[in-house]
Amino acid sequence: MRMRPLVAAAVAALALAACSPAGPDEAPAGDGATTVTVRVWDEQVATAYEQSFDEFTRENPDIRVQVNVVPWKDYFVRLPLDVAGGTVDDVYWINSSNFGALADGGKLIDVGRELADQQGSWAPAAVEQYSRGGTLWGVPALTDGRIAVYYNKAMVEAAGVDPENLTWHPADPAADTFLPAARKLTRDSAGRTADQPGFDPGAITQYGFNAARDLQAIYYNFVGSNGGSIQAPDGTLTLTDPKTAEAFAYLVKLVNTDHVAPSAADTNDNPDFSRDQFLQGKMALFQSGTYNLKNVGDGATFEWGVAPLLAGPQGRVSVVNSVIAAGNADSPRRDAILKVLRWLGSEDGASYVGEEGAALPAVTAAQQAYYDYWEGQGVDTTAFGDAGGTATIPAPFGPKFEAASTAFNPILNEVFAGRTPVAEGMQQAQDAGNAALR
Amino acid sequence: MRRRQETRTAYLLLAPSLFGIGAFLVLPILVVAVLATQRWDLIGPRTFVGFDNVVAVAADGRFVRSLLITAGFVAIVIPAQTVLGLVAALLLNRGLRGSAAFRVLYVLPWICAPLALGVMWSWVLAPTDGALNALIGRRVEWLADPVLAMPSVAAVTVWTQVGYVALFFSAGLRAIPDTVHEAAMLDGASPWQRFWRITLPLLRPTTFFVLVTQIIATFQVFDSVYALTPDGGPQGVTDVVAGRIYYEAFEQRAVGQAAVMALVLFVLLVAVTVVQQRWFARRTTYDLST
Repeated sequence: MRMRPLVAAAVAALALAACSPAGPDEAPAGDGATTVTVRVWDEQVATAYEQSFDEFTRENPDIRVQVNVVPWKDYFVRLPLDVAGGTVDDVYWINSSNFGALADGGKLIDVGRELADQQGSWAPAAVEQYSRGGTLWGVPALTDGRIAVYYNKAMVEAAGVDPENLTWHPADPAADTFLPAARKLTRDSAGRTADQPGFDPGAITQYGFNAARDLQAIYYNFVGSNGGSIQAPDGTLTLTDPKTAEAFAYLVKLVNTDHVAPSAADTNDNPDFSRDQFLQGKMALFQSGTYNLKNVGDGATFEWGVAPLLAGPQGRVSVVNSVIAAGNADSPRRDAILKVLRWLGSEDGASYVGEEGAALPAVTAAQQAYYDYWEGQGVDTTAFGDAGGTATIPAPFGPKFEAASTAFNPILNEVFAGRTPVAEGMQQAQDAGNAALR
Repeated sequence: MRRRQETRTAYLLLAPSLFGIGAFLVLPILVVAVLATQRWDLIGPRTFVGFDNVVAVAADGRFVRSLLITAGFVAIVIPAQTVLGLVAALLLNRGLRGSAAFRVLYVLPWICAPLALGVMWSWVLAPTDGALNALIGRRVEWLADPVLAMPSVAAVTVWTQVGYVALFFSAGLRAIPDTVHEAAMLDGASPWQRFWRITLPLLRPTTFFVLVTQIIATFQVFDSVYALTPDGGPQGVTDVVAGRIYYEAFEQRAVGQAAVMALVLFVLLVAVTVVQQRWFARRTTYDLST
């Protein structure tokens, strides 16, 4: 679950929506049962949902639930088309960049009114994020917790780096403990580290860090930790804020001058490049969220750990993002939809999501199961919680943020590639984004 | 009387096709024309805005630029794939052993989904861990370098289309009677002269068909370019017009402006086709007896 603006990638369109069957047949359903369809983008959670809905159908024999997975890369291109065409599912996940337009367009069931009694049991940050016009527009389904740093234990030990206490500082090199560590953690094919003479940036075999144009894992947190902002309270973009531009300049320098992160040619169009490098044992520090925890847990063949987000001049400021399950207001199955939403918002219904470690539920009482699962796996996940800090930067908001981000992404790509100077790029990106917001 | 009956039968037989053309060609064009006068974000209500979208598109330099980029793309791809396709067809038609297998090989890329091929090539051309760079032993950013992106995308496009072009030329070559070549040989024409004076002129109908269909297809190219270089590529150098329409409709959700762009592209393609039709009509030789 990510809120990274939709990346135009072809694999998405290749994979037509993979439709999961409507749960195992042993789930009893009476004749004439209503079928409610639920659309999500996460395979792991879809599996947990199917188990959850089997239980739901046992308790509500007149309702069957079918889970449909639409791949993330394609999700928010297809969603408005399906909404416009009347072919969208009864219940569907929405992220913060996209929910405003649907709420304002009257497409969503007013959950704040219909399920008011449950609202207190959901993560407050999620409720706040998806409240608009004085009410809540969906049941908080998942929350990402805070962004943290996955690290390769062998690599940080070999370099003598403590990943728990790294601070970056754009203006005061003496206060910057992160850059020297990242340079020690970056190696070329001859085994030289990035702080040694003769280091060849054209033949890097081990990256120190994953600086890239990654909204949720990287630049929102760097901007926040530098005291900058991305959006003003009225939603307009503030990319030219000096603190914001300074954070971007630091990131671009990590890529193009310090050579401790993969080149933008690798990462601009391939959002999973860094994760794959980390999993292949070619990256030491990989800053990301709980949405990659299961991927790392399943894919890493080496010892790894989770450290708190890097600290900036303003401390550890993370973007915290949630996802809602929204009800389709145009569907004739309103009563059944509300029952399904109520189930997803209950401790029982949400417990399946956390128990297998698939994702962190936004139902507060169901969260412990998630932490317990990972503890059982020998992974300390406290850095995703308050142990990783408490300060936050607001997640993207407003009905047209998705349009704004698709307008400014190509410009940010050029900034990260080092072809457009940062100050100029921030101005261009802000202008293009604000034009799309209108 | 009988004539009227024949006419009726003819229309009856044509009905399925006419229905198809109406439902899948004429109707969508009309819908797009209506959408061009409206503001719609796919989610909210549609509002009539008259010519506002036309004004907005005219003022958007990126659309004009994408038309120029597409024209440049066509100017690279069409000559390259036509010449290469013809060469391949000539070689295949010499009846060498294994020609049949080669014919199949050539056509394979054309029958695969362009998107899948685009994804595959984006792996081959990836700067780190890409097969091509591993082969040549140096790091080249084929798709991320503003200078190389366009030629790389064009090369992949040519590679996918050559087999299709060769297939048609191959069929065209077989339609040329051997007697014509034999007569020319008796008159002492060299192979080179025979190619320029006989083969090429007699291939005109094929050439016309191939050029018209390929120019139209290349002007509308989207999937392979999108798979190789999303977001219009580095500095927007591969921002082809179909990609621009896609971006406007589905990423910006400005359906009205995308509709205007689509109509402009439609009119341009009709114009290109009419010009080609005229040009070839005066020069095409169908009848070998003249």
